[in-house]
Amino acid sequence: MVHKVSLIAAPTGLSPGGYVKKAFADRNAPQTPVAELEVVKGLTGWRIRLEWDCSDPVTSLADDVDRFVDAAAILAPGAPDAPWMSMGAPGKPVEGALWRADREALFGVRAEGLGTVERSDAPAGWSAMADRQAGKWRVSFHAPSWSALDAQQQLAVAVWQGAKGDRGGLKSVSSGWIAVGS
Amino acid sequence: MTATETNRQIAMVLDLNKCIGCQTCTVACKKLWNKDTGTGYAYWNNVETLPGAGYPRNWTETGGRTDQGEVKAGSVPNLDEDYGRAWTFNHDEVRARAGEGEQKPWLRPKEKPKWGANWDEDRGEGSYPQDNHYFYLPRLCNHCTHPACLDACPRHAIEKRDEDGIVLVDQDRCHGYRFCVESCPYKKVYFDPQRQVTTKCIFCLPRVEEGVAPACARQCPGRLRFVGYLDDEAGPIWKLVHEFAVALPLHPEFDLGPNVYYVPPMSPPKLDAQGRPTDEPRIPTAYLESLFGKQVHGALRILELERAKRRRGEASELMDLLIAYDWNENFALGERKREVL
Ligand code: SF4
Ligand code: SF4
Repeated sequence: MVHKVSLIAAPTGLSPGGYVKKAFADRNAPQTPVAELEVVKGLTGWRIRLEWDCSDPVTSLADDVDRFVDAAAILAPGAPDAPWMSMGAPGKPVEGALWRADREALFGVRAEGLGTVERSDAPAGWSAMADRQAGKWRVSFHAPSWSALDAQQQLAVAVWQGAKGDRGGLKSVSSGWIAVGS
Repeated sequence: MTATETNRQIAMVLDLNKCIGCQTCTVACKKLWNKDTGTGYAYWNNVETLPGAGYPRNWTETGGRTDQGEVKAGSVPNLDEDYGRAWTFNHDEVRARAGEGEQKPWLRPKEKPKWGANWDEDRGEGSYPQDNHYFYLPRLCNHCTHPACLDACPRHAIEKRDEDGIVLVDQDRCHGYRFCVESCPYKKVYFDPQRQVTTKCIFCLPRVEEGVAPACARQCPGRLRFVGYLDDEAGPIWKLVHEFAVALPLHPEFDLGPNVYYVPPMSPPKLDAQGRPTDEPRIPTAYLESLFGKQVHGALRILELERAKRRRGEASELMDLLIAYDWNENFALGERKREVL
């Protein structure tokens, strides 16, 4: 099933610490306003395609200190009532995968609230293929098994455009969980 | 702003009247802690010539704080334009040309540098001989009482230690977002693009824990650095900061409570058109006020009075302390548990 997903700017007011919420208080518009999401559960597991417009891709830090790379994440609730906008809550995790344009391997990610994201190697067999054509990033994730998504049938997405200064909580996100069906 | 009062606070005082700009401190620090290839451009300790643009270039304008101490969006300096990329040299070419018999092949940077940590050394301002002037400002992380870097990190990867107030980055938690780099108005956090984490001065923590002063302070041939705890009333820091009130924080208007203090530089008089000394110092006091705040007037006055006492042959505890007859007395860190340089 293909979803046209409107993205919003993740609310900087929620960001832990005093700097981001004040310095980026006016960052209300998403740098990536829309993404296309296709989620298919097949014999080989979950296949999830995410596409978004990106006219100025950043695929490497190139040894510079003021560049940020493009990235995207797909997350599922680890508990029925895990909140999305705050990246979960204590005891109500969110979990999934982070693709970054400067590395082959996916990160596995898990969080129980903002500022608690733990990165690790993605589960065995998880992968992502990324290509950029006609000014769009297309990232195709493959998860042979993903019990949280099997159980909750809900997914959320986040996109970072490095050229626009996106990193951490400066990101465009789905406004809530998206029911994916099976 | 996060309240981060700690149990004790370590501090440093630097007497700018004695700095000769030799960069021994810079090299001591760099050699000891900061040799990763991703931070070739980064100097936890740097010494810049003032007036000047400094390092990174125009760092006071790259933000994080307004003049009222309010948070504002800062920026991450550019490696080539603002910090200056670490130079690589044409060694192979020089070797080849020397092998071909060329007498003086030039060893030079492969890329044309645009800026560097000591780019505007000894330029200063003014016109010779009337009022030309400059002085050196060694800079390191201020291990602030209210660190902007700590306040900026959404991952809680920056900690201020309770036992000594040293501010540290936990690189295992750091995800390289660089909000700390942006927000520090002193620009004393550096990003390592290879390891994708930030790094900063650790106040030579393993040395301090053994009662040994940081390398920049121990190695300083000018004997101008003093190190100790702010609350130690018998130590040099208390005396210089509180008792004599001659050591002042840099840019107090950022309101972060810096714990590195400076004894402001005195200067010889300007000359008038006929070459006669005037009553005005060469380094404009208004300029020093822009660096150290209004208290600089009082500090300079005290320094003048104490210096005059010494000239008259009278005793001055302050001048004796600043002269550093016994440089071991510059440091009050408790029992020294090992011998080091
Ligand atoms: S000087 Fe900058 S890096 Fe050091 S503690 Fe203060 S805010 Fe943090
Ligand atoms: S080692 Fe001392 S005299 Fe030399 S530049 Fe550093 S602070 Fe100044």
